[in-house]
Amino acid sequence: MADFQLSAEGVEFVKAELKRYETPLSAVIPCLYRVQKENQGWVSPESVSYLSQLMDIPEAHINEVLSFYTMFNREPVGRHHVQVCCNISCAMNGARELTHHLCKSFDVKEGEVSKDGKLTITRVECLGSCGTAPMMQINDRYYENLSPDSAVKIIKELE
Amino acid sequence: MLKCKINGKEMEVPQGTSIIEAFKLSGQDIAHYCWHPGLSVAGVCRLCMVEIEGQPKLQIACNTMVQDGMVINNNSETVKDVVRWGLDFHLINHPLDCPICDQAGECGLQDQYMQFGKYDPEMAERKVKKRKVVDLGPTVVLDSERCILCSRCVRFTDEVSKTHELGIFNRGDRSEIGTFKDRPLDNKYSLNTVDICPVGALTSKDFRFRQRVWYLKTAESICPGCSTGCNVNVYYNEEGLWRVRPRHNPEVNGHWMCDEGRDTYKYVNRKARLLEAKMGHRDNWTLESPGAAAKAAGQKLREVIEAHGPESVALVLTGQYTTEELETAVQKFKGDLGSSLVYHWVNNPESFEDFDGILLRGDKNPNTKGLLKILEQEGVSLTWKDLESRVQQGQIKTVVVAGPENQSVFPDFVEKVNLLAGVENVVWLTACPHSVLDSREKATWQIPLKTYIEKAGSFINHQGKTQSFEVGTVIVSSALTLAEAATLLVGQELEVSSGDRLAELTRKKNFFTETRGAL
Repeated sequence: MADFQLSAEGVEFVKAELKRYETPLSAVIPCLYRVQKENQGWVSPESVSYLSQLMDIPEAHINEVLSFYTMFNREPVGRHHVQVCCNISCAMNGARELTHHLCKSFDVKEGEVSKDGKLTITRVECLGSCGTAPMMQINDRYYENLSPDSAVKIIKELE
Repeated sequence: MLKCKINGKEMEVPQGTSIIEAFKLSGQDIAHYCWHPGLSVAGVCRLCMVEIEGQPKLQIACNTMVQDGMVINNNSETVKDVVRWGLDFHLINHPLDCPICDQAGECGLQDQYMQFGKYDPEMAERKVKKRKVVDLGPTVVLDSERCILCSRCVRFTDEVSKTHELGIFNRGDRSEIGTFKDRPLDNKYSLNTVDICPVGALTSKDFRFRQRVWYLKTAESICPGCSTGCNVNVYYNEEGLWRVRPRHNPEVNGHWMCDEGRDTYKYVNRKARLLEAKMGHRDNWTLESPGAAAKAAGQKLREVIEAHGPESVALVLTGQYTTEELETAVQKFKGDLGSSLVYHWVNNPESFEDFDGILLRGDKNPNTKGLLKILEQEGVSLTWKDLESRVQQGQIKTVVVAGPENQSVFPDFVEKVNLLAGVENVVWLTACPHSVLDSREKATWQIPLKTYIEKAGSFINHQGKTQSFEVGTVIVSSALTLAEAATLLVGQELEVSSGDRLAELTRKKNFFTETRGAL
């Protein structure tokens, strides 16, 4: 695995974030988000080392934050990260069945990357869109009021 | 000063004292895991709960400051109940493997359980399985299941060693201590994390499974590893020393000591020691008792002086002996033998002044200051060069060397022995044998000396602070102290002591029966 590096804008972003808070530790979450965005949706150990040097924060401290929050992926994900909410409202509206259906339709196991590298499907806890259950988030977008067929259609339309 | 009342006891504490510190000052017990006087406050164990009059909820004593007129207690039923439940929560995922756990006997959980245990756990769920026997580095082993996440070790690497290796990863009941990418925890102070671990999560590779702590006794001593002179407790039994741990002294070492200093017990034990004196030369050694050998060497010294005059005899000293011993040795040598040739063997002049900013110093002798003081007091100021030139010119017929106790920190050991190869007689006073001494071609007396733990005296550390210590235990009883050896070498007899001290020593009480529960 080649060494990870942020883009020039990414570096600028990190530097700005560092100045924004009282303590540099507060900037870890936004910076990890940035890294995840620029590193195909996941945060690799190499990128933690890189960030540690850039931010002058020990690797262990960044890793503490990284391993605490579920929004950060510590394993590679597909180009489209499908997060199906399985919290109470969605679950009552068939979100778990929906997840199984999606996995079956696209021949991918939960949490794993599909063979063509397009897709990763995971279950997540509440995404705060209970009124439109069931719903899923693909990368940064919400798709709501899903049915098994509409969800498959949405994913198929993605490139 | 602030007035407060702790469990009914009136006291005054300075501004900025936390309640837990006030409890410590008042000498009363308070349950706690995460708080450590040498580290920052984390407030995560929730065990040091106290009731403060006028406040509806219980507060944690470690993160609440004493205010004037506070009335605090931790012996009400409410507090006890909260601690009981707190402890039960700590034990949810803690394995009950005390019989095979190395911490048993000095474990915070065990100690608190005696007092606050529910004895009838209400957890029906299975315990979370985590990593066991994790090789965390060259000195430490981690058992994640036993960890109660007090974060003391994490704060230690952040605040004291400043190496930042450790962190708490994941969350909830999957949280565990670890290093990034499982890199080794490899710093010069790593074993302090083992000392401060209140449970058996971090154990010392060197000590684990070698002794049950309740079979060991402790003695207070001073670490002879370098010129810092950390205050230590040594743990011993009849077989010898098993480990060295720091003892709190705010002026010298605080709560800590380095890993190197913890190895200073190794050369003290019988296996590493010179047990009998050796007289003769290469391939022709006679074993003799230390006292008799010292007398025989003394006889030789006087013969040499009669034949060649007092300036044919030299004394070489290292800063590894107590001030008292060095004083006696120099005085006997100058006064009774009449030779003023006394030399200071500096083991590593290049790194002598090094300091790592925490505790470790480049001067690996505990008493260099003491030696320099004695040399100045006795008016000796000869350089090593002087000895070298005298040896080369053959003026010196006999050298008495009070060699290093801790040979491993003398990188020039072999070089110095070889320098004296041409000298006719060498009387080498040493605690441990060395092969290069055994292969000397000319007449040699190797006389066993006692180590730091077997004698009383004082060291003067780099600050000029005199620190006295008592006899801890005796491992090689026939070995001599430097003062005794010097007395015998100049032909005098030793005073016979009454033996009371030894009796006192053997009656020493077991540390663990006295201070149980002290975290």
